[in-house]
Amino acid sequence: MADTIHSPVALIVPRASPSPGILLLKRLWRERAVRTGAVIVGIVLLAALSAPVVSHLLGHGPMEQFEGTALDEMGLPIGPTLEFPLGADGNGRDVLVRTLYGAQVSLLVGVPATTIAMIIGTAIGLVSGFFAGRTDRIISQAIDVALSFPFVVTALSLLALNRGGTGQPIVPPMVVVITIIALFSWAYFARLARGLVLELRTSPMVEASRTIGASWARIIWFDILPNILPTVFVYWAVQLPANIVAEATLSFLGVGIQAPMPSWGNMIAEAQRTSLYQEQPWFLAGPGLALFLTVVGFNTLSAGLRNVLDPNRRRA
Amino acid sequence: MSVFSVDHLRVRFGGVQAVRGVSFGVESGRTLAIVGESGSGKSASLLGATGLLPGSASVEGNVLHRGQEILGLPDRDLRRLRGPQIGFVFQDPLSNLHPLKTIGDQIGEAISVHQRITRRQKHERVLALLDDVGIADPQARFSDYPRHLSGGMRQRVMIAIAIALDPGLIIADEPTTALDVTVQAAILDLLKRLQEEHGTALIFVSHDLAVVSDIADDVVVMRDGLVVEQAPADDIYLRPRQDYTRELLGAARLGGPKSYAVQRDRQATRPLLDVQAVARSFASRPVLDDVSFTIGEAEILGLVGESGSGKSTIGRLIAGLDRPNAGRISLKGRDYSQPGSGGVLPGDLRRSIQVVFQDPYASLNPRRRIEAILADPFVIHGTVDKAELREKVKQLVTDVELSHDVLERLPSQLSGGQRQRVAIARAIALRPSLIVADEPVSALDITTQAKVIRLLARLRDKLGVSFLFISHDLGVIGELCDRVIVLEKGQIVEVGQTQQVFERPAHAYTRRLLASIPGRKRPPAEAELEDVIYG
Repeated sequence: MADTIHSPVALIVPRASPSPGILLLKRLWRERAVRTGAVIVGIVLLAALSAPVVSHLLGHGPMEQFEGTALDEMGLPIGPTLEFPLGADGNGRDVLVRTLYGAQVSLLVGVPATTIAMIIGTAIGLVSGFFAGRTDRIISQAIDVALSFPFVVTALSLLALNRGGTGQPIVPPMVVVITIIALFSWAYFARLARGLVLELRTSPMVEASRTIGASWARIIWFDILPNILPTVFVYWAVQLPANIVAEATLSFLGVGIQAPMPSWGNMIAEAQRTSLYQEQPWFLAGPGLALFLTVVGFNTLSAGLRNVLDPNRRRA
Repeated sequence: MSVFSVDHLRVRFGGVQAVRGVSFGVESGRTLAIVGESGSGKSASLLGATGLLPGSASVEGNVLHRGQEILGLPDRDLRRLRGPQIGFVFQDPLSNLHPLKTIGDQIGEAISVHQRITRRQKHERVLALLDDVGIADPQARFSDYPRHLSGGMRQRVMIAIAIALDPGLIIADEPTTALDVTVQAAILDLLKRLQEEHGTALIFVSHDLAVVSDIADDVVVMRDGLVVEQAPADDIYLRPRQDYTRELLGAARLGGPKSYAVQRDRQATRPLLDVQAVARSFASRPVLDDVSFTIGEAEILGLVGESGSGKSTIGRLIAGLDRPNAGRISLKGRDYSQPGSGGVLPGDLRRSIQVVFQDPYASLNPRRRIEAILADPFVIHGTVDKAELREKVKQLVTDVELSHDVLERLPSQLSGGQRQRVAIARAIALRPSLIVADEPVSALDITTQAKVIRLLARLRDKLGVSFLFISHDLGVIGELCDRVIVLEKGQIVEVGQTQQVFERPAHAYTRRLLASIPGRKRPPAEAELEDVIYG
């Protein structure tokens, strides 16, 4: 079995480099998909951060209505002007400012929801994969059950329950949306982590730790977790755009982020419901393109990360 | 005129010059062996010459195929050459065969890619090829999938694909390295027979001079991307001119172990480990049946057998990574492994039995530095003081003859031999009384193998630790082990002093194993060769 490395790739692995962290960053940056994705995600982040600044510069709050200046004499929203760069919506609000605030909402919902799902899912997957046998069977069944719930129907019912006697939500809708999205995406992380752990738990690396008497906790913490995290992080970036779309879906259906608070989902819904996008296309195009750009950015980034971090896909 | 020749070939990957001006050629009906360690550029030069390297590699020089320059030809033309003119056989037949296609289809595809051929003709050609490469009952095997075949059969299928269009040249890159010794002998015979029948030129790449000794007409020895020595085989084996060739010859075990482990006083060693009538089966398929043996204190016991013989299972049972279905194992009179379930080894016994695994690339956590990996055994067993830990780890590194600067590195920044030394250091950290070494050198280069084996022997002398040394390589076993057990299909067929077993084998299977050791026809010419490496 000598000389198992056939591919000459082994030769180009840099040898004497000081920090693996810097090396990793360099390798990431050499991947074009990572660069492109990072730039697009950077733009989205910048947009979300710049929302209050732009709002201040233009003098338009995200929920302020300018019936005098933003609507014409027929009551229809005006198109792009210097004062309203992306025009106005049916209520005379600034589409650009609302789209930028929408980015904040998307990230504020998507990032925590995906992160919570990742932590819960990875923990459950670790337990399931590591303590195979009955534990694994029960958890796998639970994952299958969790995955068999239809997302929209379940989410609609849960959000409907969140109405008190006066019709006011009992818990802030944003928290409910985050919880629901997390509930619907942890199972994917659990499945992924379970598969990775199953492969690792019988590896020579883990058996070597067992023979020196390492405890389960130690093996999970030092041997398994660091070796599955890169893949899990990549999956986080894969799942995030899906969850941003999920938030937009719920808001579009009127059960997510509630008007007048801007979210891409409820902006698109409003443009579509009032058909005003036929008069003022940017009313629909602003949030629509922003959503598109965000999803493309994260998807490109995650594809690039996978190219670099996934040992099975490493190219020569 | 040469069928295939390269002239001043240079291959570069990014900033690394892998091949630095290499020239060789091969003629019809002749075999050229290219020998060198990993990283010597032997594979890179052949892949580069045939246009099989990724675009990121730059290849310069001249490559002539039947007098025609092929370096820099467009892919279309190269594809027409590969298959009909040049056949390839690689090391790992499993990863080179499509898992979801029958072997008949895959061999047939090799033909139909280049020729228009009717379905019936193709079927007949494939059957003839299967027969030609020595696969019994081709009709029945035609629709088998690769997973149905043994490693040797898969390699025969790869050879059938390579010779499907009767090419004038076959390039075989370590074609037997992943195979058992008896299978290796059969594959070498097959390649030789095919070559004689078809008058093919053969380029055979290997890290081991012993493997190519029976088949090579000419030998090219490579190191660090350069040709060290290039000569007819007789000259290389009988009159090597370069020190490096002598070193490789010294490490190669032509026709068997070069020397036997020094006989120790048998009366002095008391039994340490006792294995009694152990049996193990997986999914009702028996793997081990009624296996009993003992290991004495400070004894190195060899366990030899082919893949599937159950030798690794014995190692896992003794190491407490698995439980037997019947029988029991005891260490110093304490039973610790019986049928049942749950954790096997209690704490103090856990320290006494350690393991060195086959693949040092898989047994070291790639995300931890060597210092952390080696500190683990001490941390787990109660050492907390930072300075004391560091001292202990440094001592370990010294014990396995590594320099202290490896401590700061990650496993990926070490060579295979260094990694295996780290794995050995981890195993001796807790001063065990027994180390189970499962094929510890078979993933290493042949010169590295010799060094690691000497290290193990020295550690035994210094620490008084016993080894169960599992290997399929009889040469390694012969040089290291005091006694040897031969295992066939889960049963012990022969036990005895190593030299006695090797020189007067009693069982037919042992004789067959010994007869398969490559290099029988070229006994080591000069005793002085050994001094180069064992001096």
